[in-house]
Amino acid sequence: MKKEKTAKGFTLVQRQRVAGWGFLTPATLLITIMSFYPIIQAFITSFKTGSSANMQWAEPLLYNFTRMFKDKIFMRSVGNTFLYLIIQVPIMLVLALLLAYLLNNKDIKLKGLFRTCIFLPCATSLVSYSLIFKSLFATQGLVNSVLTGLGIFQENFNFLGTPWSAKAIIIIALIWRWTGYNMVFYLAAMQNIDYSVYEAASLDGSSAWHTFWHITVPLLRPTIIMTVIMSINGTLQLFDESMNLTSGGPANSTITMSHYIYNISFGQGVANFGYASALSFFVFVLVAVLALINMKVGDTRD
Amino acid sequence: MKKLLALILALAMALSLVACGGSSSSDTTTDTDSDSSAAATTDTDSDSDDSHTLTIQAWDASFNIPAIQAAADDYKANVDPDFNLEITEVSGSSDIEDAVTLAASAGDYSTLPDIVLFQDHYFKQYQANYPDVWVSLDDIDIDWTDFYEEKLDYSTVDDVHYGVPVDGGTVIFAYRTDLLAEVGKTVDDMTGITWDEFIEVGEEVYAATGKYLLSMDGDGNDLVYMMLQAEGVSQFQDGEPYISENEVLEEICEVIVEMVEKNVLYLANDWSDYTDQTIQGDMVAGVMNGNWIIPTIENVTENSGLWEITSLPTLSGEEGYASNGGSSLYITANCDNVELAKEFLAYTFGGSTETYDNALKNGGVVTTCISAAESDVYQEGVEYFNDTAIYAQIAEMGNHVTVVEQSDYHYSARSYMATALINAINGADLESELATAEENLRFEMGLS
Repeated sequence: MKKEKTAKGFTLVQRQRVAGWGFLTPATLLITIMSFYPIIQAFITSFKTGSSANMQWAEPLLYNFTRMFKDKIFMRSVGNTFLYLIIQVPIMLVLALLLAYLLNNKDIKLKGLFRTCIFLPCATSLVSYSLIFKSLFATQGLVNSVLTGLGIFQENFNFLGTPWSAKAIIIIALIWRWTGYNMVFYLAAMQNIDYSVYEAASLDGSSAWHTFWHITVPLLRPTIIMTVIMSINGTLQLFDESMNLTSGGPANSTITMSHYIYNISFGQGVANFGYASALSFFVFVLVAVLALINMKVGDTRD
Repeated sequence: MKKLLALILALAMALSLVACGGSSSSDTTTDTDSDSSAAATTDTDSDSDDSHTLTIQAWDASFNIPAIQAAADDYKANVDPDFNLEITEVSGSSDIEDAVTLAASAGDYSTLPDIVLFQDHYFKQYQANYPDVWVSLDDIDIDWTDFYEEKLDYSTVDDVHYGVPVDGGTVIFAYRTDLLAEVGKTVDDMTGITWDEFIEVGEEVYAATGKYLLSMDGDGNDLVYMMLQAEGVSQFQDGEPYISENEVLEEICEVIVEMVEKNVLYLANDWSDYTDQTIQGDMVAGVMNGNWIIPTIENVTENSGLWEITSLPTLSGEEGYASNGGSSLYITANCDNVELAKEFLAYTFGGSTETYDNALKNGGVVTTCISAAESDVYQEGVEYFNDTAIYAQIAEMGNHVTVVEQSDYHYSARSYMATALINAINGADLESELATAEENLRFEMGLS
């Protein structure tokens, strides 16, 4: 092929490159200024201590990083977060998968209505749904009134003031809020599975369960891996529910890592930005490691 | 339809882009082109205003802002007719704390007003971390002996005064007289009693009326601090936590746990539960907190005339006095006219009866200035409290509050104690919980 010179003396390939870089530059600049620069600054801050007006290098340099492992409340917040992760993510994803499977059925009536209803919780803001759950489960709230009215409870139960039930309510709230969100991903993926695969399966006498387990789930594998990574990531950074629904209480039994980091930087008295940055990097490493494991486990290529 | 939608979306985006671009370009032009002239105009502007204008930030439109407004009116009427005070309302005290953190971290104080209202318990912590933000009041014309010693302790660092007191946090114990009457008690019977006697009455009241004699926010439990101060004891000793070795503290915690077990005390899940559900929801026959809680009690209009106040019970049965909360005004490093600010504060909150009378009438702010509390307004009966002169009573009680050791870690101590109490109420061993609280607090303070 002959190289076509343009008026400015660029070849076609060169022109395309220039255009490509031209389009990339604004986004690259913005992400560098808005994300990468603060990340590097936060990393430097994480090695410092003292008042934010006059921060000094920590002595020893890793002081903030060693301190966090002796910090009982932080360790407790890590424990709480992992508890939410281990209980909530599997329940939510299995529910989402089953709901998606049910609603993917061609013959079901009012499909659109059901899909909308299940997805609707995702349209509510995190703060408002947390506050609604808080008032639902208040000691004088609706749930208590109904349960005592039906005679299931003798007297009102302090759901949010008892450690185990407060944790359970956060998990219930999370499932309510996020199941529909994940269901939409599964539904979209299922619609890409050719219907003839199912027809072939039913001709071969496969049961519904068998079809689901041996055809739908394997074909959904990439989507499942994506939702698992997203859910783990989201749960590790859980903040709104802990902050608004229980304010971390009672007695720090529901506090999450992000909520504790917030408390250290803005919540209680003078900010300790050095320690807060160090804790944030701990969360960052956790997210990265878990995502890596996930991708390795899910990788089918040899 | 889809095309129409797409068109609308595209239009909206294009418009917003244009709007953003437009504003930013106009900003830069003023910056570059008229830099010198703009600076000149602001200079002349502030010159003409400077000698008579101050800016101030405060957070409660129904409490401390009317008090500050009263001071501004007072100063304008009696000292400087051209005086102008620009009051900015923020949504909460934490907004001002964050503004101080931000300004000090950036090293640019221009975002701060001339004067800020600041919470007493937080001041020393912020003074230690951001010393350059605050202006000392060394040469201000105020007779400090006219104020409660306990109140001044919060705003004084190394014998240097930084703040001028606005409201005190003198603790009141308010009782519902009608509910006490059902078990044959009066408010006088509740004055100068021991906590054990209090628990007995509380059990009777709960049995007879189904109402708790006391409630508190379980997560931000102020009871420990208030009950301890009434005994003249602190959670700190020589700058270190004084918890697990502190026998008085342990006794008080036992009392609190017993009160919850016997349905005398109701612990709410958070602050809004405490105010909205327990107090305004009419669940209680008694309220114990800083006197700033009075407007909350008064919100239940149908109980008007049924409340009266008195001092706190103690372990020994003497009358107990404590203080919780309260705030003071501080001059910031951004103040160009420190002299005016000092004159204004000294004239008004430094002891002007007119300021404090109107602060009480319009905002219910009770002074910590001894001579100001002698004014007639304080002697008037308050209808809601059965026509008793509660403000004179509060001012009298405030004068009895003992100074106990304060700490930068006041609120941290409070949350560790709240945790210990919740765990003890749920069945954990109190002594080991207190040891854990002390350990965690020492860890946070960097002591171990």
